[in-house]
Amino acid sequence: MEVNNGFGPIDIAISGMRAQSKKIGVISSNVANAQATDNGKGGPYRRLEALFKADDDIGGVTLDEIAADMSELPRILRPGHPHADEQGYITMPNVDLPIEMINLTVAARAYQANVAVLKRYQRMVETTLELLR
Amino acid sequence: MSQTSNIVDILEAGIKAESLRQKAIANNIANLQTPGYRRIDVKFEELLDKAMDSRGAVDLDEIKPVIHQPKQTPVKSNGNDVNLEYEVGEMVKNTLRHKAYVRLLNGKYRKMEAAINVK
Repeated sequence: MEVNNGFGPIDIAISGMRAQSKKIGVISSNVANAQATDNGKGGPYRRLEALFKADDDIGGVTLDEIAADMSELPRILRPGHPHADEQGYITMPNVDLPIEMINLTVAARAYQANVAVLKRYQRMVETTLELLR
Repeated sequence: MSQTSNIVDILEAGIKAESLRQKAIANNIANLQTPGYRRIDVKFEELLDKAMDSRGAVDLDEIKPVIHQPKQTPVKSNGNDVNLEYEVGEMVKNTLRHKAYVRLLNGKYRKMEAAINVK
């Protein structure tokens, strides 16, 4: 006998909030490292992308993987820079700040949407509980 | 052994368990940044499920809520595994359950009162 069920939508909304919150963490890492020409492994910082994965049936979402964006790294002329090569070029991270800002807005809105679902479902259960009065 | 099929007793046990769980959640949120802290939870519904027999009778000693560390959520770099969103979700669910139990108990008491007031 299943004693406690019926709070599925709450768990799903929470999974969405957690995933979006982690995504915002990834975006803030991208923004913070937008000028980092050294990743400690002999190259510039590479933009990270949070990849989401749907759980089986209706079970919410999880952050599956944080993958590196393998697009081309821009090279700019900066002779005299400690990280510059023989031609005076440095390789910059492939982070585009406007794109990160848009992604941040989208992630924050998605977080809010999940909160809205949670709140609405909470109110629905409360109206059901009103029947017990 | 204190077997009971009295709904008031079972509801009381449920309300006690929810109160304890609320404390556990508050403790988890308070320790959101504490290094090495693992979140705690209250086991009650599983116990109730196990303790219930076909007649709906329950041994009250078997459904005492117990605090345990699930150790299932991913651990952060400081050894802490509390996630604020998760705790908020647990709190919402706990509050709704608590509300349901209190209303059911209230209904039970009102029926008793109605019986007492019969002249």
